Amino acid sequence: MDRRDFIKQVLLWSAGISTSIPSFRIGSELLAAEKAPPVVSHAKGKNYYDLVARVLEPLGGIGKYVKTGDHVVIKPNMAWDRSPDQAANTHPLVVKALVEHSLDAGAKKIMVFDRTCNEQRRCYVNSGIQQAMESIKDKRLAYYHPDTRKFVPVNIERGKAVNRLEIYRDAIEADTYINVPIAKHHSLSKLTLGLKNSMGVLGGNRGNMHHNLGQKLADLATVIRPKLTLIDATRILLRNGPQGGDLDDVKILDTLVASADPVAGDAFATTLFNMQPDAIPSTVAAYKMGLGEMHLDRMQIIQA
Amino acid sequence: MLKKGIKLRHWRRLSQVLCFILFLFLFIKTDYSGSNELPYVVNILFRIDPFLAVSVSLASKALIYLMWPSLIFIGLTFIFGRFFCGWICPMGSLLDASHSFIPQTRPGNANRFRSFKFYLLGFLLIGAFLGLPAAGYFDPFSILVRGLALSVYPALNVLATSFFTFTYLQMPAWVNMLTEPMYAFLKETILPFLQNHHDLAFLSFFILVTIFILERLERRFFCRSTCPVGAVYAIVARFSLMRGKGGTKCGKCRNCMTVCRMGAIDEERHISPLDCNLCMDCVDMCPGNKISFGFQQKEVARPVFALSRRTFLSSLALGTALPFFLDTRTMAKSPDPYLIRPPGALPEHEFLGRCVRCGECMKVCIGNGLQPTFLSAGIEGLFSPRLQARTGYCEYNCTLCGQVCPTGALAELTLAQKHVTKIGNVFFDKNRCLPYAKGIPCIVCEEHCPTPDKAIQFREGQVLNSKNEMIWVKQPYVIDERCIGCGICETKCPLPGRSAVRVTSAGENRNPQNALPAQSLLY
Repeated sequence: MDRRDFIKQVLLWSAGISTSIPSFRIGSELLAAEKAPPVVSHAKGKNYYDLVARVLEPLGGIGKYVKTGDHVVIKPNMAWDRSPDQAANTHPLVVKALVEHSLDAGAKKIMVFDRTCNEQRRCYVNSGIQQAMESIKDKRLAYYHPDTRKFVPVNIERGKAVNRLEIYRDAIEADTYINVPIAKHHSLSKLTLGLKNSMGVLGGNRGNMHHNLGQKLADLATVIRPKLTLIDATRILLRNGPQGGDLDDVKILDTLVASADPVAGDAFATTLFNMQPDAIPSTVAAYKMGLGEMHLDRMQIIQA
Repeated sequence: MLKKGIKLRHWRRLSQVLCFILFLFLFIKTDYSGSNELPYVVNILFRIDPFLAVSVSLASKALIYLMWPSLIFIGLTFIFGRFFCGWICPMGSLLDASHSFIPQTRPGNANRFRSFKFYLLGFLLIGAFLGLPAAGYFDPFSILVRGLALSVYPALNVLATSFFTFTYLQMPAWVNMLTEPMYAFLKETILPFLQNHHDLAFLSFFILVTIFILERLERRFFCRSTCPVGAVYAIVARFSLMRGKGGTKCGKCRNCMTVCRMGAIDEERHISPLDCNLCMDCVDMCPGNKISFGFQQKEVARPVFALSRRTFLSSLALGTALPFFLDTRTMAKSPDPYLIRPPGALPEHEFLGRCVRCGECMKVCIGNGLQPTFLSAGIEGLFSPRLQARTGYCEYNCTLCGQVCPTGALAELTLAQKHVTKIGNVFFDKNRCLPYAKGIPCIVCEEHCPTPDKAIQFREGQVLNSKNEMIWVKQPYVIDERCIGCGICETKCPLPGRSAVRVTSAGENRNPQNALPAQSLLY
């Protein structure tokens, strides 16, 4: 199954021309057994604008992922009505830096959105991300609330625990999808990282994902395949996740982790919490499906 | 007819239009606007209402300071008469605007029901004082705003959404080039941000529509015969300084009597200040220019209320007697446990006394959690707000309902106060809750629990699942001392149908009788 063909199916379904639900089967070329070890880059610093550029350098820089004329989706976690210092949402300055670097790389359109858990306007405002986006005066940037008409049912052909999900159209159609999760505690999935953050493009009753969350997140990861995952660990939430609310639960790390391999990025970020990658069910499930690497010794970990 | 230029009634119409636009503007702005503090006094219409001010003050046996702006309109009415009804009232303006679309059953001004509003006022005020708060069922603004907020406005959004969804899904791209910007513009301006859903949407709508149907009997039927605000203004206008002077010995034309929308002009062409709303039609229409309004018109006849003493006393007696029947119902002994009042609500009796059923809190509720109560708070609790946590929850960092309440039935809370205001407590139904009943992992409730130290915790428990396997799952439980009853767990519980975790009013701060059982002191 070719991605272009899949997008064509989505277009036909959305236009009401076709009634068959778009299906996605991940191509075998992505699942080749032997691949070069993925690069995971991490960097520490106070200036988040520079930090974003620095952490992407070992991966080839933003230009490797955002080409001139690309439609780019940047998907932060802004699911909660919490302030930036409470470490429940991606840091607004990280999102802002990433948007600015992508604009500089020549993106034609950048879309920033999330389907929130608390009331959406409050989340956008209080996460600080709305204000950060407003401060970027560039017409190519669009930040908006998901439009309920634009969720498209998608058959997850390789899904083991879920075979159909409603997915936001813009996330499917983008040339480049960049995942910008925050690393934080979550009582069911233990941590929420890149794979968990992809839930923000889902419509429908997302609570059902929780019954066998790890496998369902891996199933979702067969369809939502970010070209780049940039994990925000500038401050991490250690307890009472995923929304926190108590500054005592927050630890400042000033760290970013980046990888083109969504599983490897999550696996490395797990170590920031003094945990091993195999403690996270979604990492293990995705690895087993061949979606990425979870063994730290088979990655190329670079401190930038 | 032959007068040129701008006439008095044009000024009146202009005032009506502007006031109505202002009303709609404030109605639409009764919403979250990017900060927790509302930038406009969106509830002002209720706070200038002298009837509600008197009724609510009687009910709570105290002067309600929030209602002070109503004094301004009492004062103005003392000078000008019932100008409010003709120049400002948004309900009156709507009735005037719709008049030509509603055919009248029979011509002429039969003012048979004119006195009814005074009997009603007497009944409502004495009822409010003795414990039957029914002001909101007859107050025109309560009926109007409630009808708009609970039914008309959400319906407008359904209409727009279905139209633009149709164009989006079915129409070619060039049509969408036109419709999508139009939709975006409407969303930006007049449409609500989210689709709200409400209980009693039809009932609120029918009550509103009834006022328009009554227009078939005669013009401004509601204003003439029922409106308790009009009744209060009529009593004040009895002493008003400015009076209309009709033509005497002016022949047989009767233009003024025909055009008078309030039926305020009698056969002798006396203009009764009890009814005249200063619309100025008669001044403009009088062919002999004989009608004028002024301050020194001693020859104007004394207005009469024309009340039947017996009927008036009967209505007072009814208002006196009925409240005592309320306490005979079972709910006086055991209130509905699912009647969860918004944060800041006063103790139930005082809350109902002050609540004017305006629907502002339900309109502004950002989670669509506040719903009008049907009968579970009794006939005197109809349309009062309750949290229905399966449809929507109380947003942890939001204090909007207390800000819009015009009477202080919901106290205005600071965010810090709101965070510790317990409106109820949740209970798990272990027969339905997945980790308990089926051994399926879930704890969505725990994920969403907003208190910094989560009120919903979990412990690992062993369960036999449907495949007869003994497995370990995380099972949620609640810590009562932390739960504030916001209900997000009930809203988000992924079970279809009834939630496995439900909020009840148990433990609410405002009612010590409802305290939760505890081994040691809870609060």
